[in-house]
Amino acid sequence: MNAGLQIDIERLGTAAQTLVQDLHLHVPAGEILTLMGPSGCGKSSVLAATAGTLASVSEGLQPLQFEGRVQLNGRDLTALPTHLRGVGLVFQDALLFAHMTVAENLLFAVPRALPLAQRQARVQQALQEAELSGMGERDPSTLSGGQRARVALMRALLAEPQALLLDEPFSKLDAALRAQLRPWVFAHVRERRIPVVLVTHDEQDVADPQRVVHLRVTAEESTNHV
Amino acid sequence: MSFFGPVLLAALAGLPMGWALWAAASQVFDAPAWQALWADPQTLRAWGMTLWTGLASTVLVWWTVARLLAHGFIRQQLARWLTHVPALLATPHAAMAIGLVLWLAPSGWALRLVSSGLSGFDAPPPWLTTQDPWGLGLILALWLKEVPFLLWVAATQLQREDLRRRWQAEFALAQTLGHTPATAFAQVVWPQLAPRLRWPLLAVLAYGLTVVDMALIIGPATPPTLAVLAWQWLGDADAAMQAQGAAAAGALTASVAIGAGVTVVVLRAWSGLRTFASRGSLPQRSPRQFAGEGSHRQKIPNWLLHSCGRLPLQPNGHSSQHGHSAAGLSRGRMSGLALAIGGAYLAVWFALTVGSVSGVWSFPQLWPSLWTGDAWAQVIASAPTVWTTLGLAAASASVCLVWSVAWLELTPRRWQQALRPWWLLPLVLPSVLWVVGLYSVALQWRLEGQWLGLLLAHAVMVLPYVLLALEPAYLAVDPRQSAVVASLGQGRWTDLLRIKWPLLQRAIASAWAVGFAVSVAQYLPTLYVGAGRFATVTTEAVTLASGAQRSLMSAYAALQMLLPVLAFALAAYLGRPRQFEKIGSMKDNT
Repeated sequence: MNAGLQIDIERLGTAAQTLVQDLHLHVPAGEILTLMGPSGCGKSSVLAATAGTLASVSEGLQPLQFEGRVQLNGRDLTALPTHLRGVGLVFQDALLFAHMTVAENLLFAVPRALPLAQRQARVQQALQEAELSGMGERDPSTLSGGQRARVALMRALLAEPQALLLDEPFSKLDAALRAQLRPWVFAHVRERRIPVVLVTHDEQDVADPQRVVHLRVTAEESTNHV
Repeated sequence: MSFFGPVLLAALAGLPMGWALWAAASQVFDAPAWQALWADPQTLRAWGMTLWTGLASTVLVWWTVARLLAHGFIRQQLARWLTHVPALLATPHAAMAIGLVLWLAPSGWALRLVSSGLSGFDAPPPWLTTQDPWGLGLILALWLKEVPFLLWVAATQLQREDLRRRWQAEFALAQTLGHTPATAFAQVVWPQLAPRLRWPLLAVLAYGLTVVDMALIIGPATPPTLAVLAWQWLGDADAAMQAQGAAAAGALTASVAIGAGVTVVVLRAWSGLRTFASRGSLPQRSPRQFAGEGSHRQKIPNWLLHSCGRLPLQPNGHSSQHGHSAAGLSRGRMSGLALAIGGAYLAVWFALTVGSVSGVWSFPQLWPSLWTGDAWAQVIASAPTVWTTLGLAAASASVCLVWSVAWLELTPRRWQQALRPWWLLPLVLPSVLWVVGLYSVALQWRLEGQWLGLLLAHAVMVLPYVLLALEPAYLAVDPRQSAVVASLGQGRWTDLLRIKWPLLQRAIASAWAVGFAVSVAQYLPTLYVGAGRFATVTTEAVTLASGAQRSLMSAYAALQMLLPVLAFALAAYLGRPRQFEKIGSMKDNT
């Protein structure tokens, strides 16, 4: 029970309004859990609580409060800052850094403990896997939507996360592109043997029908154990 | 512990400001001084002149900016304008006033152009065209200077990615409901934009009511405006006159408050009328209405359309254009108003340049008969003046920039919202009031006549501009960007130094340049808090404006303009976007 990602939420919401209550999720390594629900049900907030980035979703609103615990492979993450959690995050917008080339975006993620030559080699490898060989020096804004999404995933994986959170990663792409990208993404994340949580509102995005959790808008009623 | 930073920052900026205001207030409330002020025969007329010039210029600025924005938004020219506005903003008030004097004076270029052939003048006529008793020159100068400021603030709002996209969508939607682009802008975009301009508009009003340097150069002299009187009294050797000056500064503050109150009431009435007007012209969906369009437009008061969205291209017979709105407009067509303002600035720059190298230049001649570099040689010989200007500007801009970045980075958004009006106070309170307070602070902190005291005074005046310049870009940064950086295992400093600040490089650089320009243009704080011991190009230019050394005055004014321009050029260079490798045709579409 220690291996994998364990998310225990007693309560998640603003002082005035509870978004998610009594939600307990366990994701073993190498598995993809799909978290579904209509917009406003707090699914992105669950990811933010897991990654420790609640400040970035509470923007402009009341700050979000999180009561509960997040554990990864037996390690308690709850009090750790995001950059020490080892939890990767991919959004629907690729959020590639506009002042860096594609390769620099990737290089930024490779752990700096390694010698530069080795880091560069990993970037080249990632470009190849993303089917973007030779495009390392490009301005990220010149990439197509699908290419950007692939770079964003490779970037997240290059940081060697021990868990990965995908926040509606396909929702900005058209149907054909989604169908193409889904198996590519799932294959790559499964290969890493890490727990993955995918948030979506599209049934088609479900990675593993055995592991789906539905959130409802009035989260008070939803008691989910997986 | 995380509150330590914000509290420290708030104290750093708030303490000198609060102290100065408290010190000023304690001098303003002095009963004998108020009696003396009331009894002074000049006071009432000066106050009337203040109200007239301040209110008239503000109304003109508002009207102009509303029209320019309508034009720029509908034709999508705002982004292009925005690249030119910094040059206009960088022109200091005093330089603008001096440049206008060079044109408008009886011996100025305007009359030279028509003399002696057309006008028949062989000598400058004894006209009061520059320090005219009606304050028209001052109103003109204020109008030219404040339009770019308000336009710039508005344009930075309109350039915000989120707002721009939403407003453009709503603007397009309104047109599909059968409205002309002009009405769509006036009823959909403008009502959302105008409230965001409340603070800047108040700043324009406050500036118009309380400006000293411009009024000294181009404003009426008998009587001058109340701000000029206050300034003269404050500089008097007699303590009672100084007290009267402080009271006048208080009266100016009250005028700003009254003016703000009047503006609020007027705008309320205006928006009430607007709601009424738009209710009368709710989208009419029948196809017939589309064809016979124009009927609903007449229900909107004409003056309203005039002020916020009439299209110069489509005065009345716009029905033929209707239906292919944006596509049907020639995007290239410039607004006449924008051309007039741009032309005036070019004329002013040109006059300053020529004036600074003019030697003998007898009246009806169009060009000087003798050209000379003497004035510039004299300016260069007074290197300490230039260095003081540069040092003060660079230091105060840097201090304010560091503070603003730290404030926006460390402080919770709610704090920022709550304290924002406080940081903007230097924009809305008269500078004569500030110098009274800042001088007291400098005295009490033993900084009077010291460089550090001067820096403090400049920083207080510069801060709101830097904050205003930086804020939109800084707050528009997607917070998820930092979330991504952290999820890649990188700490906060890495995020700031390698991602966030480099991406904001352009906004940061231009905020610094704005601060630099504001500091260069400071007149009152430099003289008053510096106790007359420090000369900058601005104090020199204003002092010379009352004399007869045209070329030297022009040279200082030109330099006063040149320094901010150089700062903006430097900012543009530092903030230039990265050049990526050019790509071939290898783009695939996966």
